[in-house]
Amino acid sequence: MIIKKISKSDIGELLRQSVEKWETYVPVDTDQGDTLFTLLPKEGSELENALEKVNLKDEWTVISPKDIFFPQLETMFSFEKDNIKEEVESSKKLIFGLKPCDVKGILFADAFFKRNLDDKYYLSRAEDRVIVAIGCLQPPRPEACFCTSAKTGPFIEEGFDLQLVDAGDEYIVEVASDKGREFVDLYPELFKDAEGDVSRSARKIKSDAADAVKVEVDFEKALAIMKGDPDLKENYERISERCLYCGACVYACPTCTCFNVFDDNKQDKGIRKRNWDACIFEGYTREASQHNPRKEKSVRAARRYEHKLKYDYKVNDVSGCVACGRCLASCPVNIGISKFIEEITTNKRIM
Amino acid sequence: MRKVLTTCIYCGCGCGLYLTEDKGLVTGAYPSVNHPVSKGSLCVKGWNCHEFVNRMDRLTHPLIKENGAFRKATWKEAIDLITKKFKAISSETGADSVAFLSSAKTSNEENYLMMKLARAVYKTNNVDHCARLCHASTVAGLAATFGSGAMTNSINEFEEADCYLITGSDTTAQHPLIGSRIINSVLERDAKLVVVDPRKIELEKYSTIYLQQKNGTDVAWINGMMRVIIEEGLEDKEYVEERTEGFCDLKKLVEEYTPRYVEKITTIPAEKLIEAARIYATTKKAMIVYSMGITQHTTGVDNVKSLANLAMLTGHVGRASTGVNPLRGQNNVQGACDLGALSNVYSGYQKVTDETAREKFEKAWEVEGLPGNIGLTVTEIISGLDGGKVRGLYIMGENPMISDPDSNHVRKCLENAEFLVVQDLFLTDTARFADVVLPGASFAEKDGTFTNTERRCERIRKTVDPPGEARADWEILCDVAKASGYRGMDYTDPAEIMEEIREVTPIYGGMRYDRLDSYGLQWPCPSLDHPGTPYLHKEKFAKGLGTFMPRPFIEPVESPDDEFNFILSTGRIYWHWHTRTLTGRTSTLEREAPKPFVEIHPEDAEKLGIKDEETVKVTSRRGNVSLAARITGKVAPGSCFIPFHYREAAANVLTINAVDPVAKIPEYKVCAVKVEKI
Repeated sequence: MIIKKISKSDIGELLRQSVEKWETYVPVDTDQGDTLFTLLPKEGSELENALEKVNLKDEWTVISPKDIFFPQLETMFSFEKDNIKEEVESSKKLIFGLKPCDVKGILFADAFFKRNLDDKYYLSRAEDRVIVAIGCLQPPRPEACFCTSAKTGPFIEEGFDLQLVDAGDEYIVEVASDKGREFVDLYPELFKDAEGDVSRSARKIKSDAADAVKVEVDFEKALAIMKGDPDLKENYERISERCLYCGACVYACPTCTCFNVFDDNKQDKGIRKRNWDACIFEGYTREASQHNPRKEKSVRAARRYEHKLKYDYKVNDVSGCVACGRCLASCPVNIGISKFIEEITTNKRIM
Repeated sequence: MRKVLTTCIYCGCGCGLYLTEDKGLVTGAYPSVNHPVSKGSLCVKGWNCHEFVNRMDRLTHPLIKENGAFRKATWKEAIDLITKKFKAISSETGADSVAFLSSAKTSNEENYLMMKLARAVYKTNNVDHCARLCHASTVAGLAATFGSGAMTNSINEFEEADCYLITGSDTTAQHPLIGSRIINSVLERDAKLVVVDPRKIELEKYSTIYLQQKNGTDVAWINGMMRVIIEEGLEDKEYVEERTEGFCDLKKLVEEYTPRYVEKITTIPAEKLIEAARIYATTKKAMIVYSMGITQHTTGVDNVKSLANLAMLTGHVGRASTGVNPLRGQNNVQGACDLGALSNVYSGYQKVTDETAREKFEKAWEVEGLPGNIGLTVTEIISGLDGGKVRGLYIMGENPMISDPDSNHVRKCLENAEFLVVQDLFLTDTARFADVVLPGASFAEKDGTFTNTERRCERIRKTVDPPGEARADWEILCDVAKASGYRGMDYTDPAEIMEEIREVTPIYGGMRYDRLDSYGLQWPCPSLDHPGTPYLHKEKFAKGLGTFMPRPFIEPVESPDDEFNFILSTGRIYWHWHTRTLTGRTSTLEREAPKPFVEIHPEDAEKLGIKDEETVKVTSRRGNVSLAARITGKVAPGSCFIPFHYREAAANVLTINAVDPVAKIPEYKVCAVKVEKI
């Protein structure tokens, strides 16, 4: 792997130059005190203001940036009588400052949207992109992040184009792909050659970062248990009784990709849209006949945990959970997959 | 793709959320991490609050009805017609022949302007809004006992409380982010939970003790609890002595309410009442939480006063994580009251009957002759349309055809309205009766402020442009005022309106926009250096001493008899909001709860031979609806419950328009019906 470095003070300039070529998404502080993945304005004082508020520290950005490729609500096409106008977005994108768990989530979503049938709405948005990951020195959700247990963070080994390692005044830059190499080559004055034993420094930073993650569960054991089709009815009943059905665990989850399709129409005009859906809702599997194979709340809870920890692992040998802890962090009643894992691996009641 | 912090449009929690904008459309909503209420979470309505904004059936231009059909009109035509009609009516039969219904869904600034339009321009106090139908009893009851008619404490204080007494609030359904704090406290901190509700609400699952009272018997059980507390010496004697007045009268009145006597009235077993009273009285940090189940009765004010008595008796007011906490329903119903969209007060609860207040507003608004009579309330205004007491009515963002009691009566009144203006986002059931329909802008399309249930005044921010020619309510109201010949309603933006509000409204004195920018401030906030007030009545009550106002139990107006043998209660469900104008246009929410239903107890279903989901007919003295039966132990035998969201089987066809004598709130929670198999 090629290793470069970039001074923190040069990040602003890098982004200033990158917006000319890419739609650039980066975590930015709002005026009110939250940090969100934000599309940088193209120029002028708007760009300068945003650059001043770029925040690459370890902040909790509520939802994973999956909405860049898979918006919460999107127009598929509009129609008027017999005319159909499809809307496909395909700009070049730079996603800068993505956390390792979110990178894993996006790779998972990519695979889903290519499986069986190519989903052009997603794929065209996601096709031409550069991913610059940044590892976490501290978990952004200290009570919820459990990436070390699933080996999905706080740094990743593959799937990114560049990965930044925070080394004080500068970032060590790991270049993992051709796209990443092309990117650093575009800005030779900003990406400098690394001197000394940077790999060793990076290793130390990564190991300290891993130590900072406090929530630990036996992830491998959980996957093994789930593979064996255990009877977890009691857990599912308890979870589904406590659940308020807000949808946050699904909406905030980097690997949740379910959507519903509906028409918004008026006389002979209309728009076909799709929006984020959630398997915990009763209507999710209700059929036109009104029959519902998952009417029971606990069966819906089972569906969610099995999807995250069983199906994909069985079929594709990859876990559907990236251990980001967003489900727990956004749950109003403190239900989270890490707690579920702890329950089934220790036989203790946690929730 | 832009992301703009704003405030949720649904309940009084007032969650902070970001709207995502892409190419002029709102494409998402998600919670603010650092907002003190949302803290990274929202309920399902919040997560989906963006969808209705883009709907194609939004109103996009003014409509004028001609020969029974609407035609497109220009803004000038529409506003000229409104002012011409309103001025003519006003000069023919007097200022009180016109009326204005403001809206708890619109901003503080817009509510202020609505009352200014009614009072300063049209010289009538006939301005009111749906708070009349939800917490009018709270405003009256708590103002009388404590001196301030608002939720005493703050949402985050729920995280520290050790006991909750929840009555008449289906908290997880109606205020989910308050409900969640209660669930977490019970499960993770062993907080105690006393639930008193005729319906087994979701929180019943977590309750330390559950009391199922007969609908409409609240004063009796509250008096009974106080009697137990006094008898067992559990009252806070020092607090009662130092901070309250009228204890002797209270003691005398509650003497009669022995647990056995209360059991007869309420069906609550005597020993359960005693246990619940002990739990509440002996826990230091205990919060009373209530909502429509307490207020929507002909004894609504009595119910509220009785809860206030209970809290004072035990010293549970004036400290963090205690208090009497009415949860306000609409996102801005607190603000609409604060800003004077009520028939008896100006902004900041300054009485229209008080000459000094009138003079103050005359000076501020540069007008003469502000009326000193209390105006008509919501139900009186609607009834006034039939018979011509009210000849012109301007409704902003309300849908009385579905939301007001006794729909058949409402229909008749709206049909007979001489001149009706409706300003809304969609062509609602009410708007269909209008002579002029004006297209308003949604919360995502304008700037302003909402005030949530904990008195937090916080910003909403324009994210996208309104569709077509739709305009912000404040802009429309200013144009109407201007066209009516008044020069004092001309503002460049809502921030400027707030500057005027600050000058005339002491509790909002410090609410300048730059100070509200992060996550708002809680009133009272009298000056620019005031940090806001998380809980009220610290050290002393707003009125000095708290006043015990003992009330005797009075039966509801309509009790079951041989023919109408069920008690009907109405309410809301988690997935929908009020008249479904917004949530019915939100795919996820509508899909979860697409059709109306009536909850009946399994014993009753068996007696009547009714199967689950079978269509049944529910009839009251005022009308009937047909809808699916949902057989559930949530309701008691002899009781049934219908959500009022559905125009397809509107619960309010059945309800009675009997009102509380003081607050004029209708008795939505008790009427007599029969249930029949079809």
